[in-house]
Amino acid sequence: MRVVHYLNQFFAGLGGEEHAGAPLEARAGATGPGKLLEPLLGDEAQIVVTLVCGDNHAVENQQVFIAAALEKIREAKAELFIAGPCFLAGRYGMAAGALCSAVQAEIAIPVITGMARENPGADLYREPLYIVDSGENAAKMREVLVRMARLARKLLDHEPIGLPEEEGYIARGLIRDQFVEKTSGERLVEMALAKVRGERFESEMPRTAFAPVPMAPAVKDLRKAKVMLITDGGLVPKGNPDKIEGSAATRWGAYSLKDCTDLKGENYEISHGGYDPQFVRQDPDRLVPLDVMRELESEGMIGELCEQFLSTSGLANPLSNTRRIGREMAEKAKSLGIEAIILTST
Amino acid sequence: MRLTLAFHPVSEIRFGAGTRLDGSVLMVDKDELYRLILQDPRIESADFEIARPGESCRAGPVFDIVEPRAKELGGSPDWPGVLGAPLTTGSGTTHVLQGMAVTSLREQSPGESRGATGYILEMSGEAAAGSHYSTLHHLIIVPHTNADLAAHSRHNAYRLAQLKVAVQLARTAFTSRPATTEVLENSLNHDRADLPRFAYVGQIFSRQRKPEAEESVLYGADTDGMLPTLLHPNEWLDGAVLPSYHVSLGGAETYFYQNHPVISALYRRHQARELNFAGTVATVASADNLDRERSTRFAANLVKWALKADAAVLTKYGGGVPHSDLSETARLLECDGIKTSVQVTDLARDHRVESALLFNYPEVDAIVCIGGNSTAWKLPPVSRVIAANSGLAELLAGPFEINSLNVVGVANQQGASRLRSMIY
Repeated sequence: MRVVHYLNQFFAGLGGEEHAGAPLEARAGATGPGKLLEPLLGDEAQIVVTLVCGDNHAVENQQVFIAAALEKIREAKAELFIAGPCFLAGRYGMAAGALCSAVQAEIAIPVITGMARENPGADLYREPLYIVDSGENAAKMREVLVRMARLARKLLDHEPIGLPEEEGYIARGLIRDQFVEKTSGERLVEMALAKVRGERFESEMPRTAFAPVPMAPAVKDLRKAKVMLITDGGLVPKGNPDKIEGSAATRWGAYSLKDCTDLKGENYEISHGGYDPQFVRQDPDRLVPLDVMRELESEGMIGELCEQFLSTSGLANPLSNTRRIGREMAEKAKSLGIEAIILTST
Repeated sequence: MRLTLAFHPVSEIRFGAGTRLDGSVLMVDKDELYRLILQDPRIESADFEIARPGESCRAGPVFDIVEPRAKELGGSPDWPGVLGAPLTTGSGTTHVLQGMAVTSLREQSPGESRGATGYILEMSGEAAAGSHYSTLHHLIIVPHTNADLAAHSRHNAYRLAQLKVAVQLARTAFTSRPATTEVLENSLNHDRADLPRFAYVGQIFSRQRKPEAEESVLYGADTDGMLPTLLHPNEWLDGAVLPSYHVSLGGAETYFYQNHPVISALYRRHQARELNFAGTVATVASADNLDRERSTRFAANLVKWALKADAAVLTKYGGGVPHSDLSETARLLECDGIKTSVQVTDLARDHRVESALLFNYPEVDAIVCIGGNSTAWKLPPVSRVIAANSGLAELLAGPFEINSLNVVGVANQQGASRLRSMIY
């Protein structure tokens, strides 16, 4: 089996920080930690090429670096790619993570790297990759390589990969189901009992913390402002022209309000599986309050109402969808010179 | 309150003349049940089928699953508020045909948005292994209702037929000696003062939808306008609560109200003298923020003042909105020093931890998470498909892929699920 291994200038023996600008080079055979790694991968494994690059060079010229490295990995006809371990070395971790991601996506061979949890590369690449938790101490090189080699073998052999604590990789932040012995009711009571006794308990889902969203500055003069209506209640023109999904929507639409003062139920439908739509069907203004907005417009309380409203369906939608949809909607609003948005939900 | 459950194990269901319990064999007289069901003019005809554990058999879409139980005469009525006056259940003796269920099907697919097959009952194979229901003997009612019926009336007809059949079957056990009995009582004797007091807070409906007309959820009431209310644990087990008709509010069947996994777990720990089971609160998920403030505070106050609990375990009913009510109730309890654990479903369609929860409260840190989103099975063709019409039978014939959420019992939200979300 043909293996390509990646090392930075330090672990390849070029030297320390003064060699961080060293360009990418390809050496035949195993170098440094690679010599320890090769026998751990099994008898038939051979590190055919070791790629070496200075950390600064790799990070500062990332695109060029990755393109060149990919070419060399292809040339080497690699069946497995291993980077590091990088321990706490930040730029090394970033380069190894980026390279592993690229190899996995473009050459589609198994990849493994190792880093400390605190390595910034771990933060960036833990989701797409199996990153063995190396800790900070490079003296544990052998131990870390043993775990990397074991996980690499499993990936190569398409064996099921266990949980992070079993395999020693950094949790990717993904969920998969498993059948367990105890019913959820038993687990629920057990957990509360441990908690009330002050004993340790393991929550099955960690709390997720999100960065606070800063409040937008106040609208300077609402009487001159262009206002837009956006809803996640799934109101779409009859026929659902943008095929917005009723659950976990990946799409959104912009629909005309031009020359319209009152939305009529017969012209719209609702693509949203999470609420009772009968009242909105009777009168869509209950969800997208066009009638009231037109009154406010004619009273002069707002400058004008945008001639389009935006709509999507906000049911069971993961953040990976909603972040993008939100960003796209914000861009659209900006391009139309919108100063204030009223979001209506269900 | 003291409830005696008299268990009569059923190892086989057979069709024959004269409905009776013969040892552990339940003889079912189809004509007799047919006459019982057809008392309701909304039902034009019905078929009965038997499905056995391990059999190459599939049925669906499932309306509800009910364990045959009957109250000894002189106690509260069976299914109070539905088949009789809404008198308090939970005491006296209830006979149980154990190891079987009466399962009613629907006549229509619930539509594409939640999976066209609806909830299916799978009796063999990989998917069946994830559900307790595949271990039961099922008497399946395949109803054929009048085509002109409004949906709510059709559902009500299914419900009444199913409950009546279940009661009728369980009454055959009145003259038999039960194999085992269980006494359920949460008495708090004076020598239990050192044990922590536990409450269960269970949602029984979600106001994301208006209840259908004639929908019977709590003692026959549809929960419209309902505020959180105290229930004795035995009331849940003995017929006070029924699941909603609506398919989107899935994850609950009558069977697991009768065999409530959370209440059973609390009773076991009570009997083992690990805790005092102080009582339960039944509540509903809210339609809006004001409703939520009102409802969650009422529920938390009942736990605090009426049940004087030290700890509470909470479950939800349905999807995302109930998730919010659940966590807010737990947060209020924690603010009052009452320790909580909550059971949620995995809402992360993208399989990312960051999308799994709809709350971010540091206090609500003991979370049981039923998965479901990342389990799907390729169901093979089976020898026998039980469905109300040929279109549905074709839909269920297989092979087809099904999400675990649509195999009844797998992602149950009443505490019966053995699925767990693992983080990797």
